[in-house]
Amino acid sequence: MSIWSQETQVRAKEIIARYPEKRSAVMPLLYLSMAEDGHLTDEGMEEVAEWVGLTPAQVYAVASFYTMYKRERTGKYLISCCTSISCMLLGGDDVLHAIEDESGVPHGETDEEGLVSVEHVECIGACGGAVAVQVNYELIEGVSPDKARELVRWLKKATPAAVNTDEMQELFGGVRSFDWGIRDEDGAVGPYPAFQPLGTTKSAGQS
Amino acid sequence: MSEPVTIKLDGREFEVKPGELVIKAAEDQGTYIPRFCWHRRMKPVGMCRMCLVEVDTGRGPMLITACTNEVVDGMAVDTQNDTVKKAQEAVLEFLLANHPLDCPVCDKGGECPLQDQAMAYGPGESRFVEIKRTFEKPIPISDLVLLDRERCILCARCTRFSEEISGDPLIEFQHRGNVTEVNTFPDHPFSSYFSGNTVQICPVGALTAKPYRFRARPWDLEMVESSSLYDPAHPRVSIHVSQNEILRLVGVDSEPVNQGWLSDKDRWGYEQVRSPNRLTTPLVRRGGDLKPVSWSEALDMVGNRFDLILEESGGQSIAVLGGANGTNEDAYALSRFARTALETNNVDCRTGDGPASHFVAATADRALISDLDSADTILVWGPDLKETHPTLYLRVRRAAQELAVKLVIIHPRETGLDDRATTVVRYRPGGGHDLLSSIEAGDHADLAEMLTGKVVAIVGQASLADAPELAESVAGFIRDRAATPRIMPLVERANTYGALDMGLSPDLLPGRVAYGAGQIEAWGEIPEDRGRDSASMLAGLQEEELRAVLLVGADPVGNSHDPTGAAEALEMAEYVVSIDTFLNDSNHFADVIFPAAGFSEQEGTVTNLEGRVQKVNEIIPAPGQARPDWAILDDLSSVMGKPMGLSSAALIAKEIAAVAPAYQGVTWDLLEWDARDGAVVPIEGSQPLTHIPVMVDGPKGPSAELLLHQARVMYDDGVRLRNCPSLHPLAPGPVALINPEDAKRLGARHDSPVKVVTSKGEGEFSARIDASTPPGVVFVPLNQPGAARLGSDPVVRVTVVT
Amino acid sequence: MVDHPTDSHSIDRYEATGGYVQAKRSVGMTRDELVETVKASGLLGRGGAAFSAGLKWSFLAPARPAYLVVNADESEPGTFKDRQLLERDPHQMVEGIIITSIANEVHHGFVYVRGEYAKPARRVQAAVDEAYAKGYLGKAIFGSDFDLEVTVHLGGGAYICGEETALINSLEGRRGEPRLKPPYFPAAKGLYMLPTIVNNVETVSNLPHILEMGVEKYKGLAHEADTGTFLMSLSGHVNKPGNYELAHGITWRELIYDIGGGIPDGKELKAWIPGGASAPWFVPEHLDLEITKEATAAAGSMLGSGAVVVMDETTCMVKAAERIVRFFSHESCGQCTPCREGTTWLEMILRRIEEGQGRPVDLDLAIGVSDGISIDLAWPPKMTTICPLGPSAVSPIKALKDYFRDEVQAHVDAGGCPL
Repeated sequence: MSIWSQETQVRAKEIIARYPEKRSAVMPLLYLSMAEDGHLTDEGMEEVAEWVGLTPAQVYAVASFYTMYKRERTGKYLISCCTSISCMLLGGDDVLHAIEDESGVPHGETDEEGLVSVEHVECIGACGGAVAVQVNYELIEGVSPDKARELVRWLKKATPAAVNTDEMQELFGGVRSFDWGIRDEDGAVGPYPAFQPLGTTKSAGQS
Repeated sequence: MSEPVTIKLDGREFEVKPGELVIKAAEDQGTYIPRFCWHRRMKPVGMCRMCLVEVDTGRGPMLITACTNEVVDGMAVDTQNDTVKKAQEAVLEFLLANHPLDCPVCDKGGECPLQDQAMAYGPGESRFVEIKRTFEKPIPISDLVLLDRERCILCARCTRFSEEISGDPLIEFQHRGNVTEVNTFPDHPFSSYFSGNTVQICPVGALTAKPYRFRARPWDLEMVESSSLYDPAHPRVSIHVSQNEILRLVGVDSEPVNQGWLSDKDRWGYEQVRSPNRLTTPLVRRGGDLKPVSWSEALDMVGNRFDLILEESGGQSIAVLGGANGTNEDAYALSRFARTALETNNVDCRTGDGPASHFVAATADRALISDLDSADTILVWGPDLKETHPTLYLRVRRAAQELAVKLVIIHPRETGLDDRATTVVRYRPGGGHDLLSSIEAGDHADLAEMLTGKVVAIVGQASLADAPELAESVAGFIRDRAATPRIMPLVERANTYGALDMGLSPDLLPGRVAYGAGQIEAWGEIPEDRGRDSASMLAGLQEEELRAVLLVGADPVGNSHDPTGAAEALEMAEYVVSIDTFLNDSNHFADVIFPAAGFSEQEGTVTNLEGRVQKVNEIIPAPGQARPDWAILDDLSSVMGKPMGLSSAALIAKEIAAVAPAYQGVTWDLLEWDARDGAVVPIEGSQPLTHIPVMVDGPKGPSAELLLHQARVMYDDGVRLRNCPSLHPLAPGPVALINPEDAKRLGARHDSPVKVVTSKGEGEFSARIDASTPPGVVFVPLNQPGAARLGSDPVVRVTVVT
Repeated sequence: MVDHPTDSHSIDRYEATGGYVQAKRSVGMTRDELVETVKASGLLGRGGAAFSAGLKWSFLAPARPAYLVVNADESEPGTFKDRQLLERDPHQMVEGIIITSIANEVHHGFVYVRGEYAKPARRVQAAVDEAYAKGYLGKAIFGSDFDLEVTVHLGGGAYICGEETALINSLEGRRGEPRLKPPYFPAAKGLYMLPTIVNNVETVSNLPHILEMGVEKYKGLAHEADTGTFLMSLSGHVNKPGNYELAHGITWRELIYDIGGGIPDGKELKAWIPGGASAPWFVPEHLDLEITKEATAAAGSMLGSGAVVVMDETTCMVKAAERIVRFFSHESCGQCTPCREGTTWLEMILRRIEEGQGRPVDLDLAIGVSDGISIDLAWPPKMTTICPLGPSAVSPIKALKDYFRDEVQAHVDAGGCPL
């Protein structure tokens, strides 16, 4: 009596099969649960517990350890601004303030429409392209406060079905940590990573 | 035994056991290393860092945790040099940084390891000037346990206990870093049968027990060690008392038995002792009502009446039921009283269910609890141990989980141990013999392979529908199969094993002697005829073949599976006498009731399910005029002109040691000094009776579409639990557990009222949709408050009440 | 790092440039041959601890099954080299996985990619899928009788999972808390308590090259003490930030001023972090040290993850220190007392100083608190904690103590940041 869609159940089975022990599937299943509900609900954790043979308390213990399992309502676009050491040196705090100001959403919160959530994050491995910002974990490097404001306005206005890292880099980015090579076709559809086994990737062109 | 290794501890050399943890080896040599998270019964985690010591590793001195590192030959350990002191002071300062200084109102104050170690090893003052972390406090995490997260030092003792030991991981670490906390899943209470252990092992006042909270300061408590009064394994407890009132029980770490742990029932079941409903004076029926009278009046009345009945109809017209809830001394006095004063062999401490008394008391190859640790395989074909035998449950769980012992569970539905079982076999209620035959015929090849080597078979009645001889047949089968069989027959009630050893069965005399196989000189002449067991006594009373009944802590109406028949028997009885601590469903038929002393109100011994005799102790006075069973019986014998001369429990104990062969040499002295964990009887070959269990044919299982499985659960409507305000509400009540498939077919939903009908009874129950119960089976927990009795016939009809 | 074709992540391009030849060749090699080769190459683990990779392999306990876990949980502030390897050269790593698995008789490998690295994880998954399609992974790889499954696992956002035993816990579906060593050395009791090799992305990615070049040529690439090349991530106040593949043995001056192009706007260098946020800081007096493991350790720091964060004269040392301490406090798993309580306490003290509420005793208090996490602030740390995260938070305090006491005092005197 799963609360998940047929498609998600099929994915859950496939994911569990990728590991020697089913408990290992807790983390990917938590992402699946977020993709189903938009954020991680108590019911979602109970469902994951059923799938992997743990108590809900054990699942919660895991989920609450990590920062990416959002247990509060989260916007369609999760804007994460790096303020860790390298980004801080190059103005990470200013970029964060610009995002908060432009969106009207203080970090750690979500707007009323459920469109935008803002957070500041620790190093996301884009120090050569500071200041780094992610939208739904899709990266933009070399972001200035002004470009950050443009990014917020664009998200609110264009409300893309999926956000694409290359597209956003082109529009709002600057210095990069390294040459990215050819364009990435995938985009992210919600505040969780776009990753093939989770079924959370979407071609940027798709709507 | 491998060679000892030499370690240097603070400059002095010692020989210690190889592989021992540094913290333990040091302690054995008299060096205490401070600790919070380490607990000798759980895996070390090295988290609190309090036990840091310095060890010369060859690559220079290094700080290591004494609780996670094993000694190796030549190891030099420093437990108090400047580096170690610095580390200890730092850890304490860190722990206290966010710990509230509410010791004056904290239950743990005065017995708090954090408080003690802060005094002994702390820096003396804190440099922490910031605002301390705060949490909402305290929050109830179950009906019995409160959590104060501000006080928690995150030692993970409670979370490890619930995951590693009791197997219900319902409290866990949540979040991380500085905001880490222990908690339950939202709205999922910590409903574990073992939750009280987490309170006991919490090194601070983070987990507190509702029944004890704010009731006492530890320095005001008097204490005495004893054994629990519920679990037939007899976990050891320390009884803590203030002003003649029991305030709490604490588990005592007895290596061969409970290793420190207690079920919540054994921990908080003392509440009935201080119940206002306790009987305090003798009562006599006058004009239909029970009226208080003096002891002498009541004793004379009963003595005269028994004399008269004996004169008119002889001892075979008198029934004696009970004796399984008291001490061995009580049971011995009853056994002797019945045979000598009442001149009857109609005595039974059991209620007519489960395996035969000879098998329970004197089976060949009887198992010790410690055999579980060294077994190749453990077979549990009996009750769900988690519900009925909590100490065994924990020991079996540990054996399967930590000691790699194979575990076979055979039961009609999921049990608390299935998650640790190597193999689980289900059978339909009443179909036990069919399954056994098919196993014998080789149908379960995987089992055959596991049931070799050293096999401990824990056998008993898994379901009310099982034939009583099934357990013995299983034992017989294992004896034929296993190279080293060890048999543990299970019965209910705290001291049934002791009572049987004292001869409270028509076919037994004290000390595991078959009735008729010997005489006891001190007793004089005893009846020769074969006596009746409890079922036959009740039937005899019903048919007026018997005239009188003496109930000693016995409640056949409340406790038997045929309450109607039992009530009829007592109604028909011409004369009913009861010795008890409470009014119950049976003794309200009594003509005379004597108030009895209970748990912690008298001294004596008890015998557990492996034959271990332990001392129980007195620490509070019995309420009112209540007296020990043995004293009442001794007085009655004097009134009847057949004085037993049992003037004290100590004297009775000496008599037992003298006349009961299996108990030779088991003296209170021994139990109080040299054998504090108890002594297992028989002591070396002194048991005259050895019962060889054999497989017998049993009835074929019924084949109805739906079958009724009834079994005991931890909390029920027994009169003592009814008088435990903290525990009684935890009884599930009148519920019928139904598999989701059956529920669908029947149209039942969670909480739907359903009517359950058998050949012997019917009643309304609340449906519970439950995947642990297999399709085609309805599980009804026995003896629940407000629940109808359904008898033992498993053929059942269930309909939804509309 | 060689110039990259824009489609370097595709299997066609990788194979066109000689990819998978060494994997194919390794199928015919024995465990001893491979382990000895890697040992002889002097390849050091690139996750931060810089331990000999071949030696690590040789410690693998004999019980089977055994597992390989590639640590792609790159999270050390300042570090972004693995991200480039994962995004641009995933097949190089997959080939390294095949070689490692054959060398260690492993039939199931995992790539643990940090959760925030969505695109790198996709690239790795795509590469793995391509390798399966070609028969380089899966049943009977390269037509041999060797089976190899590879699972790409996404983290959930926790720096501590970069610690190998925390990573194993996480991969088992548990909280990412480091395990105790002893007894839980992955080589003996790792994933599911079975023998496990945990190697960093860069370490594994080196393997095809070592096999291709041969030990002598590989060793000849660099310094006699530290062989081969290594990746350094340069960031902060430098004109040319980025990942650089370097031979060991150049000086910090060469790295920052020549390769990194110096400090923007001609500003003065104030300090730099030589090996990720965990490493004790260096100041201009260290500029002419050689960049080798030994020389860095002798000067009281480490090369760690190879992340160099440069700070110019305008940088407030208190603010930078607070920023790094806050990072460790946020990422502390919370299981052991000194780290859980100590890092947060340090964060509070530094913030107080930076915000102008500092007391004259506060620097010494911070040093005292640090002393309880890392006794005497020694190097290498004498830690009271389970894992090195706690002592990492002490590195910035050590810098304030050793080089910037006056600047801290100025904060206290001025009632705020004087810069």
